[in-house]
Amino acid sequence: MFNLLLMAGVFIASFAIGYALISRVPPLLHTPLMSMTNAISAITILAALILFSVPTTAMEKILGAIAITTATFNVVGGFAITDRMLKLFKGKRRLPE
Amino acid sequence: MTLLIDFIVIALLIVGIWQFREPLRAKHGNLTAALALFLAIILVLYRHGIVDIGTVVLALTVGAIAGIALARAVSMIQVPAMVAFQHGAGGIAAFLVSLVELSRATPALSLVSEISGVLGLAIGSLTFSGSMIASAKLAGKMVQSPQVVTRHNLLVIFNIAALVIVGTLSLLIPGGIAPYFFVLEIVLGICFGILLAIRIGGADMPVLISSLNATAGLAASLCGMVIENQLLIAFGATVAASGSILTYVMCKAMNRKIGKIIFPDYKPEQTIAKTTAITVQPPKAETVPTDTTDLFPRAVAAIRTAGKIIIVPGYGMALAKAQQEVATLAEDLTAMGKDVKYAIHPVAGRMPGHMNVLLAEAGIDYDMLVEMDVINPDFHLTDLVIVVGACDVVNPAAIEVEGTPISGMPILMAHEAKKVICCNFDRLPGYSGVDNPLYGQENTIFLEGDAKETIQLLQQSLVEETPAQTPLPASHTTSKAVAALAAARSVVIIPGYGMALAKAQFKLVELAALLEQRGASVKYAIHPVAGRMPGHMNVLLAEADVDYENLLEMEDANQLFGETDVAIVIGACDVVNPAAIESEGTPISGMPILHAQDARQVIVCNFDTNPGYSGVPNQLYNNRKAILLLGDARETTLNLFEKLKEITV
Repeated sequence: MFNLLLMAGVFIASFAIGYALISRVPPLLHTPLMSMTNAISAITILAALILFSVPTTAMEKILGAIAITTATFNVVGGFAITDRMLKLFKGKRRLPE
Repeated sequence: MTLLIDFIVIALLIVGIWQFREPLRAKHGNLTAALALFLAIILVLYRHGIVDIGTVVLALTVGAIAGIALARAVSMIQVPAMVAFQHGAGGIAAFLVSLVELSRATPALSLVSEISGVLGLAIGSLTFSGSMIASAKLAGKMVQSPQVVTRHNLLVIFNIAALVIVGTLSLLIPGGIAPYFFVLEIVLGICFGILLAIRIGGADMPVLISSLNATAGLAASLCGMVIENQLLIAFGATVAASGSILTYVMCKAMNRKIGKIIFPDYKPEQTIAKTTAITVQPPKAETVPTDTTDLFPRAVAAIRTAGKIIIVPGYGMALAKAQQEVATLAEDLTAMGKDVKYAIHPVAGRMPGHMNVLLAEAGIDYDMLVEMDVINPDFHLTDLVIVVGACDVVNPAAIEVEGTPISGMPILMAHEAKKVICCNFDRLPGYSGVDNPLYGQENTIFLEGDAKETIQLLQQSLVEETPAQTPLPASHTTSKAVAALAAARSVVIIPGYGMALAKAQFKLVELAALLEQRGASVKYAIHPVAGRMPGHMNVLLAEADVDYENLLEMEDANQLFGETDVAIVIGACDVVNPAAIESEGTPISGMPILHAQDARQVIVCNFDTNPGYSGVPNQLYNNRKAILLLGDARETTLNLFEKLKEITV
């Protein structure tokens, strides 16, 4: 029961904090934002790794390996392209030193 | 303790997102988020250990290489297709993990985990197939227009019902045959994703891709509930929140309801038939001025007389690959003293913010990009609007006519400007199928054809006919240089051996001090081979009392040029010659150079425009950013110093 409440709490709190913060991201950055959150959504890689924490059957091994590969592709590719994109943004507005 | 560490990692992710509010900080935000994810992986590996390390490492390596390769290869116009494709990859991972966990069921899963798992199967698989369709459409590998199969709505309803029934059964049925139901659930999810995605096309793509972002996050979160992992739940929920916001923003910007996009209550073919009937004005052909040969000179004249100009870019601009030409035109217009801005409609492009990325890629300052709500009140005060490949987002029918698919959609008020130039491929209606009365307006000049060519022609005829082409008197270039320096917040000086020959370094230091006094930051960029021996230039400048902390090595300086207002080249040639990186087969090809051309403006204080030691002509001198001050570098510097001082006092 505690686990259920904790999981629901974590979900709701993260959703709420995420919502509050992301609402303030300027439309200018929406594409990089989506590209970054896309990479974050591949956090399923954790679950895919955990599959391999116990001995696996042949089928599980194949499915798990596919899951790790696709999730890694998503994480690495997502962060890399976001980085590339953000480096393109040039502006006169300066950061306060 | 475990929980506490989890929360620290989640907090790090939140910091990353927090940094995303400011374009220049967003880079760090991205890296912070990547770090959070990396730490999460390390934590999991530490806590759970891996039995079959070989398979895991192999899978990680293959995935990472593929990810990096693709991220490097895509151009900015392909980003939406790439993002959709990655959503799909994430979807596969989500439903496969849920499948294995559910069918393995050792230790036995709690009911909550089982329900989450089954939901994860459905949402992961629909994210996968929906994203693959979206990606294929965006990449042009599939028909982009909405595809409707017979009884589409009915099929969708059946599909949902089947998902619910099979999902419930799979929970009730005992171990042995349950996996078959899980697989069936995945198949149904895939069908559902296809049914949803094929019916969405064209301008609705941003909504589709945003909602797939949300479902990808949700699938990850559900995966986390299966294995009771807080990190997964939190990260997934954040993404779900982000996707939901973007979906909402996109729907609002297009005046659509998400339900109407998933369950349209009309068939698209009928819509088009219906709306062409609602022609707002008599057929355009007759209202257009008959003499089309006259149009182009009229457009050039309109641009020349305008003071305040707004450019409205649409996806058609990106299709015509005209953004570079548009950027050049805008630069020239700004150089002529005109006030130029870009008006960005929230759904311009194929995903939220896509237009901004395309324009950033063309090197346009994001300060010039103005959002719809901010710029709309300015249109009626604007002399000229240049529409490039945009249609529905400037269609006044959206506010003037009831009952069209775009009625009520917020638009850019281009029709309120004194004059409008449209550089569109044709006069056909946009994705909505609604004719655009803006094209027929009296004050609209419609330049039909490929936007890239049209803009290029406009830009050329503007430049050719301006006096700027004839050599400017020296005093004019000097005052241009002084004005640039007076406005500069950051200056990078590139000294070459020519400076030392002219003994200009001492005057140069005085100029630098004056600039700093005016609040600008001044740095010196030192090429490794500037001077006549290693480190020679540093010595020459140290001799003139330059603080060594202001001397930047090439690698550091090159990172700085992009953010530099003015680069002053003084007695340097080959070390700033872009031919070294742009041309093959010259004596300097492949030589690392200082990227002075990345600065917003470049003042060149060289004796002449002859090539340097290498004999390769320097393209930088022809760059439109360059202000050439030829002659003795010492006198030039002295002159700049005096003029700038007059302004300062």
